[in-house]
Amino acid sequence: MHIITLLLSSLFIPTAIAAGSATTGSDPGTGLAFWRYEAEGILFELNQRLPDQTRAFFQARGFDTDAANQFATSCVFQSRLLNTAVAGGASLQFNLNEWRVISGNKSSSMATTDDWMPRWKKQSIGQAARIAFKWSLLPTEQTYAPGDYNWGMTSYDQPPGTRFNLTLVWHREGRRESATIRNIECPADSPQETP
Amino acid sequence: MSIPTMRQQLSATLLLLCSLLFPPVQAAGTSQLLQALPERPKAGDFQLTDLDGTEHRLSSYRGRVVIVNFWATWCPPCREEMPSMQRAWELLEPEGVVMLAINIGEDEDTIFQFTANFPVEFPLLLDQDSATIQSWPVRGLPTTYVVDPQGRLVYRAIGGRAWDDPALLDMVRALK
Repeated sequence: MHIITLLLSSLFIPTAIAAGSATTGSDPGTGLAFWRYEAEGILFELNQRLPDQTRAFFQARGFDTDAANQFATSCVFQSRLLNTAVAGGASLQFNLNEWRVISGNKSSSMATTDDWMPRWKKQSIGQAARIAFKWSLLPTEQTYAPGDYNWGMTSYDQPPGTRFNLTLVWHREGRRESATIRNIECPADSPQETP
Repeated sequence: MSIPTMRQQLSATLLLLCSLLFPPVQAAGTSQLLQALPERPKAGDFQLTDLDGTEHRLSSYRGRVVIVNFWATWCPPCREEMPSMQRAWELLEPEGVVMLAINIGEDEDTIFQFTANFPVEFPLLLDQDSATIQSWPVRGLPTTYVVDPQGRLVYRAIGGRAWDDPALLDMVRALK
């Protein structure tokens, strides 16, 4: 009976660290690196975006050179977050403000839409450009039913080339779960031409 | 009848526990359907113009099922799901279902260029100042809601879907 009691207790205690796996590699076409974390019910993927790609994207949508450069050099990744539970499974909630960026011995928050939007308003970036920006980032908060997902850019507020660990946090069935992806590398910047 | 051993009792208990804790799940292929919204909140009304200049007011479609999709041309999963939305619309439009795809923040020229590569026949509406999307419970693109004939939000999909999936079409048809 003691074994059963022990087994029951271990099953009902919420697990803080998810039992998943992190993988890394590079896109054979572009050579850009990616990192992927997978555990039961969740998949999170980061794909490097070169600062030039990000500058071009936002300049084409009305950002001036300076503003586009500020964001492009803030360590930007194309990201994808999915609830991989099967139909009828649990929903997944996240809030990027809970995630931690650890570089060296310093821990900081990600730079979310809410951090960037006031800057763009202050710098008089046009409305159409600000709308494009807002919707092209991964949402700061979401609740996903099984099968739901988003793509979007994420910004880690680190200089190009920095390496960092990222602690992801999500909630499922009242449990707070977390995992760390190690040694992520911010995309390097190419030298900018001076006029 | 033999008396169960301690090991058999433990196995039976574990089996019972597993069945209680991990109920049978549906096939993985059915996971990307639509999330039912049990509270069925009222859909926020909007009046937006499509690429032909025709105005569409959501409340004018009362009595019909309406699929409302929020999208942008630069959004990869939005582009990916467009062909399946067109195929779904070809099946559902003769049955009276309405499909409205609301573009966020872009101009007509950008959307016209997009339709050269992704030809669709259902209305593409312009929400250039993003006022409509901000008044709906949407946080990322694409997001799609299915509105029932009473004007209530019944289903939601965050991220792209295969809109011509027969199981998904049946969910929409069942609302008529």
